[in-house]
Amino acid sequence: MTYLIRGKVAIFLKVILLTLLGSVLLLLAQSAVAQREYVIAAFLGFSVLALALTYLTKISIPLKFFIPGILLLAAFVIGPILYTVTMSGFNYKTGNIISKEEAIIQVKIRGVEAAPSGLTYDVKLGKSSGLPAILVSDITNLQYFISTKDNRVSVAPGQVTLNEYGVAITAPNFIALNESEFASADKIYSGTRFTFDDQSFVALEGFEAGIVSQQILEYLPTQDVFKNLIDGGIYRDNGRGNYALENDDTVILEPGWRAPIWFENYSKIVTDPRVREPIIRVFIWTVVFALATVLTTFALGLLLALALNKPIRGRRIYRSVLVLPYAMPSVMSILIWGGMFNTEFGAINTLLGTDIAWFSDPNFARVAVILVNLWLGFPYFYLISSGALQAIPSELLEAAAIDGANPRQIFRKITLPLLLQVLSPLLIASFAFNFNNFNLIYLLTGGGPRNELDGEIAGATDILISYTYKIAFGSGTQDLGLASAISLIIFLLIASISLYGLRKSKVLETFG
Amino acid sequence: MKKWLIQDSWRHLLSIAICLFALFPLYLVVISSFSSTGSLQLSSFIPQEISFKNYEKLFNDPTIPYLTWVKNSLIIAGSVAVLSVVIGSASAFAFSRLKFKGRKIGIQTLLLVQMFPAILAISAVYVIMERVYKFAPAIGLGTQAGLLLVYLGGAMGVNIWLLKGFVDSIPAELDEAAKIDGASEVQTFWLIFVPLAAPVLAVVSLLSFIGTFNEFILARLFLVDMETRTVAVGLQQFIGGQYSQNWGPFAAGSILASIPIVIIFLSLQKYIVSGLTAGSVKG
Repeated sequence: MTYLIRGKVAIFLKVILLTLLGSVLLLLAQSAVAQREYVIAAFLGFSVLALALTYLTKISIPLKFFIPGILLLAAFVIGPILYTVTMSGFNYKTGNIISKEEAIIQVKIRGVEAAPSGLTYDVKLGKSSGLPAILVSDITNLQYFISTKDNRVSVAPGQVTLNEYGVAITAPNFIALNESEFASADKIYSGTRFTFDDQSFVALEGFEAGIVSQQILEYLPTQDVFKNLIDGGIYRDNGRGNYALENDDTVILEPGWRAPIWFENYSKIVTDPRVREPIIRVFIWTVVFALATVLTTFALGLLLALALNKPIRGRRIYRSVLVLPYAMPSVMSILIWGGMFNTEFGAINTLLGTDIAWFSDPNFARVAVILVNLWLGFPYFYLISSGALQAIPSELLEAAAIDGANPRQIFRKITLPLLLQVLSPLLIASFAFNFNNFNLIYLLTGGGPRNELDGEIAGATDILISYTYKIAFGSGTQDLGLASAISLIIFLLIASISLYGLRKSKVLETFG
Repeated sequence: MKKWLIQDSWRHLLSIAICLFALFPLYLVVISSFSSTGSLQLSSFIPQEISFKNYEKLFNDPTIPYLTWVKNSLIIAGSVAVLSVVIGSASAFAFSRLKFKGRKIGIQTLLLVQMFPAILAISAVYVIMERVYKFAPAIGLGTQAGLLLVYLGGAMGVNIWLLKGFVDSIPAELDEAAKIDGASEVQTFWLIFVPLAAPVLAVVSLLSFIGTFNEFILARLFLVDMETRTVAVGLQQFIGGQYSQNWGPFAAGSILASIPIVIIFLSLQKYIVSGLTAGSVKG
C-alpha cells in the first residue's frame, strides 16, 4: 500500500489528516477555555503545535515515531499520575469538592433563614416588564404586591382578581406563567430573591408560597470572612478548605472547597487512628494474600510441571485442560466462582454437604479468595515452570545421577535452585500483580465481610487497592485526597518490588 | 495392569485430580446454561435435560441487551487492539532502532510508567474525564469514546515495552541494508519493519484485545447506560445480587463471550508465555 501512496499524494494526505486532527483538537481547546479548563486547553494547544512541528518540518525524526504515543501517554497516564500527586496534597473530599469561588457562592445561597417575623404569603409566578416576578397576596390583611429581584410595587385590592382562596391571580403589568413556561421555571424562580424590604426578601417555597427570608451570612470580600448578621459571629478561612467560626473552629460553614493541606493526607495515615488502624489491618492481609497466592499457585504449578515433565500418555490432553482456567476471561470466572460460593444455592456447599456462609465469615471468605485465585493462577506457573524445567540441561541431572544422588536430592539440590533462579523475577512480578488484584476482590467478595456496626468501610478481604477504591468512590464520605495519597504509597511499594525483580532478571543491564 | 500405568500412576492421579479442579466450575456453567430452571443449584452432575431457554432469553429478552454488549466489547477491544499496536509499534521501533539523545531516559521513564497500575490513577482519570465531559460531552465520562481513549493511553506503556522486547529480537541487518540503500527511517519502518514484524504485531494486538475485553473496573465506572456497557460490565450488573434468578442466562452469556477469547488464547499460548516471561502478567 505504501508503494502506491507516495510523493505528492502522500504529502497531500498527510496535510489533510493533520489539518483534520488539528482542527478537532483546536475546537476542543476552545471549548475547554470556555469552561475555564485552562490546563486541558493548554495541553490540547500544545498537542496541535507538537503534531504540526513534528510532521510538517524536519526537526526530529525519532519524534515522528514517538509523538502519538507520547501524547496519549501524557494525556491518560502521566497526566492522571501527576493529578493524583496533586490531589494527594489537597483536602479533597465530600463537602470539599468545588473551588473556593463556587463555595463562597454556595455558602451565600445557603446562608438564608426565615425572617423573625415568620411571614408566609401565597404567590403566583409570572413576569412583570419581562422580568421574572411574583404576585404576592397577603390574604389576612388583603394587601397585594408584585415583586421582582429589583423592586416591589404595591397593587390596590381593586385592581386584582382573586381565586376562590382569596389569592390574587391577575394584576396590571403582571403576566402569569403559562404551562410550558412553568415547566422550566424552577431553576430561575427558586434561585431568585424577590424584594420585600431593605433587610429581607421573599424566597419561594414550592411554586405557590413565599417565605419572607433574610440573609444571615454576609461575605466581606476585603477581609475574606463571612459575618453572621444576627449574632455577629465571624467565620474565617481555616486554611483547610472551610470557613470556621473564629472562637470555635469546629463550627464550619458548608460547603467547603478543595484546599491545599500539603502532607496532611500522608501524615493522617500515621497519626489518625481511624485511618491508621484499618490500613494496617488491610495491609497485613494484602501481603498475606499476595504471598499465599504466589506460594500456592507456584507450588501447584510446579508440581504439575514435574508430573508432566515426562512424556506420559495423555499429556497433551492434560495440558490443554489445565490451561483452561487461564484462558477464560477472568471476570467471567470470578463471577462464576462467586455464584458457586453462594450459601443457599452454591455448588460448593452442595458438594461438601455443608451450609457455610462463605462470604459472611472473615476466615471462610479469606480461604475462598485464596482458593479462587489458586484456580485462576496455577496454570500460569504450570506453563512457565514446564518451560523452565525443559531448559535445565539434562547433562547436569545425568551427572548427578551417576554420582549417586537420588531423585529427591537431585530435585532439592539442582532442579529447584536452578528453577528459582530463573523464575524469581516472575514470582516477584506475580506478587506485585496480586498485591493489586482489584478485580478478584471486587468481583468475588466486594472486600467483605465487614463489621457494619462500627461503620468501618474496610472489610476482611479488602486489599489496599480495593480499600482505596472504597475511600474514593464508596457510599459514605468520598475522600479523593486520602485515596490519592494511599495510591501513591502503593505505587512506591510496587515500583520498588518490581524494580528489584527486574534487577534480578538483569533487564536493566541491557539498557544502552 | 500395564506397566506404564503403574510407573506413572502418581503423575496421572495428580493430573486427573487437578484437571477435575480446573474443569469443575466450567462444567457447572455449561450445565447451568442448558438447564431450564435457570438456577445455579447443583442438583445432579449429569444434566437431566437440555434446554435452550437461557440462550433464547439472552437473545430475545429486551431487558438484556446482550448482543449490544457483545458488539460494544468487540468494537472497543478491537479498536484498542489495532490502534494501540499501530501507535505503540512506531515508538517501540524508534526505541529499538534509532539513536537519539534521551533514549536511555526515555526507556527508563517508560519502564516506570508501565509499572504504574492503571487502577491507582483511577480517581484522577475519573475527575479529569468528568471535567472533559463539561466541554466535550462526546468524549468525556460516560462515553465509549472516552473509555477508548483512556484504554489507549493505558495500553501504551505496557505495549511499547512488550513490543520493544520483540523488536529487539528481530535482527537489524535488513533495516541496516535498507538504510545503506538510501531508505529513510520512516520508509524503513513501513516497508521493511512492519511486514517483517507483522506476525508479532498481530500477536500483541490480540493480547491487547484479550486484556481490554477482560477489563472491568474502568468500564464499570465509565459506562453507566445499559446500552453502552461491555459484556463484562453488563453480565456483572445483571447477576448482581440475584444469583438464583439470573444465573441461567448469565451462564449462557459468559460461555458465549468466553469461547472466542479461549480460542484466541489457546492458539497464542506459545507467544503469551514468552510475553509473560518478558515481564508482564495477564490481568
